[in-house]
Amino acid sequence: MAVAPPVPTSFSGGVEAIVLVMLLTEFAMLRAPLARSQIRLYAFQSLGFSGLAVSVAATQHLDDLYVLAALSFVLKVVVVPSIVLRLLRDARVDLAGSNRLGVASMVLLAIAISVFGFFVVGSLPVHARSLPTATLGLAAAMILVAFLLVILRSDVVSQAVGFFSLENGVSVASLALAARLPLIVEVAFLFDLLVAVVVFGVLMRLHHGRSQTLSTDALDRLRG
Amino acid sequence: MAGVELAPTTIQVLQVLTVVIFAPALSGVIARLEARLQGRRGPRVLQPYYDLAKLFRKETLVPQDAGWVFAAGPVVAFMCYLVVPLLIPVLTTFPLPLGYMGDILGGAFILGLAGFAVALAAAETGSPYAQLGSSRAMTFGALIEPSLLFIVFTVALVTATDLPYFQAAATRASLSSTIRPAHLLAALAFFLLVLNDTGRIPVETHASTLEFGMIDEARAFEHSGPLLALLKWGSSMKQLILYVLLINVFAAPWGLAGSRAVGSVLLAIPVLLAKAFGVGAIFTVIDNSFSKLRLFKITEFMAAAFLLAILAVLVLYLGGG
Repeated sequence: MAVAPPVPTSFSGGVEAIVLVMLLTEFAMLRAPLARSQIRLYAFQSLGFSGLAVSVAATQHLDDLYVLAALSFVLKVVVVPSIVLRLLRDARVDLAGSNRLGVASMVLLAIAISVFGFFVVGSLPVHARSLPTATLGLAAAMILVAFLLVILRSDVVSQAVGFFSLENGVSVASLALAARLPLIVEVAFLFDLLVAVVVFGVLMRLHHGRSQTLSTDALDRLRG
Repeated sequence: MAGVELAPTTIQVLQVLTVVIFAPALSGVIARLEARLQGRRGPRVLQPYYDLAKLFRKETLVPQDAGWVFAAGPVVAFMCYLVVPLLIPVLTTFPLPLGYMGDILGGAFILGLAGFAVALAAAETGSPYAQLGSSRAMTFGALIEPSLLFIVFTVALVTATDLPYFQAAATRASLSSTIRPAHLLAALAFFLLVLNDTGRIPVETHASTLEFGMIDEARAFEHSGPLLALLKWGSSMKQLILYVLLINVFAAPWGLAGSRAVGSVLLAIPVLLAKAFGVGAIFTVIDNSFSKLRLFKITEFMAAAFLLAILAVLVLYLGGG
């Protein structure tokens, strides 16, 4: 008779639950009809990441991670979402634009691609050291779904949010693999994010200024 | 206490009787609560019993070309709902003699057979609305099936069996087994499944009179008299059975009788009803705070349930979560 696997401890269960909620938020971003709600979901996901960093810092006694958690809270939960929300308010666009697929098919496709990510990561000879094993697979799924968000939603906001949340997925993977990464490297990630915000901000302003829409379907109107 | 002990068979009969007798009361409480939340006074809690009594006294009208299936459908469905309480933990933590007769999948098959019988009886009438209801119920039933299968897989991975009693024991075992991610995901997916199968918003407005939005409700249109009573009684029993599964297997399997003593078994009945009324209150609040999905958007709801169920299996399979 098959034997049931052991029950995870409440720490690893809790950590997995946080990462799962982050992945589910990614799915919610994929289907959110309003640009504003996508950005709020991103802020919520980043909050999850900060919580994750704090819990790893507390259990592994890595003081650097407290700094990372605080920095990413300020940047990703407060600054970046408020900048993008302000840009959106100026643009006066509510709907995040058309999808290339129906919601149910998008979610099914995302499920398929997450399963792929799970199995690929599971077959690699790498193991999460500081977090439970499943978090690495979940982070891979998060990254792949973020790609899908960028590909399937045809508007600038979704592409920006997809890119930002991609960074969240990469950060979770880095926490799982190498929590002892020097702080300077982690902070460099965050500065990359700031650069991306500036780039996407310029893109949103310019695109909206020229074509009065945020949909990338209108990009070909810019041909000279 | 050296009290009197009940025979296992007696307890098993008591499980069935609990579901049969108290299912209309649950519907009554939910209807009353719903009315209060909407600012109406609402019907009496015992109203479903009066309705059943009235319907059983009325005559049965059969559509012109309907055959024996029309009359057999409601009876078969009712019998199916009588069988399921034998398989699931309604009152006790320990399995009863016939508890091993079928697993979760077996119980789901019997519920599916009941739905099939009702749909067949509705299709037999030749009435367009009843047929529309039965075709929709079958379609959406097929779409929600994958989620159910993955919930069963989760149970199988957690307990190495697929018996509801073992899942309930696993849930009760410790706090970390109650809050493990796989269990939470499966419980949430099952919650969505119950929402769908009891015909609640966001899938269906169960108190609506608008035929075009109906799924399950439309199937009983052509039935009357005792047959309609059996259908109504059956659907409230199905509701209580699904609540029992949600409560006593996934969400809160506490307060069940741990021994065969008369006192603890009898005490388990009011505890179960209290929990069922609580779940009913949650469903009512959901009913009153969301709007119904458009028919072609229901697939999004199914996709969400499937997402949760498949993530539960993945987390277990690859991470032991």
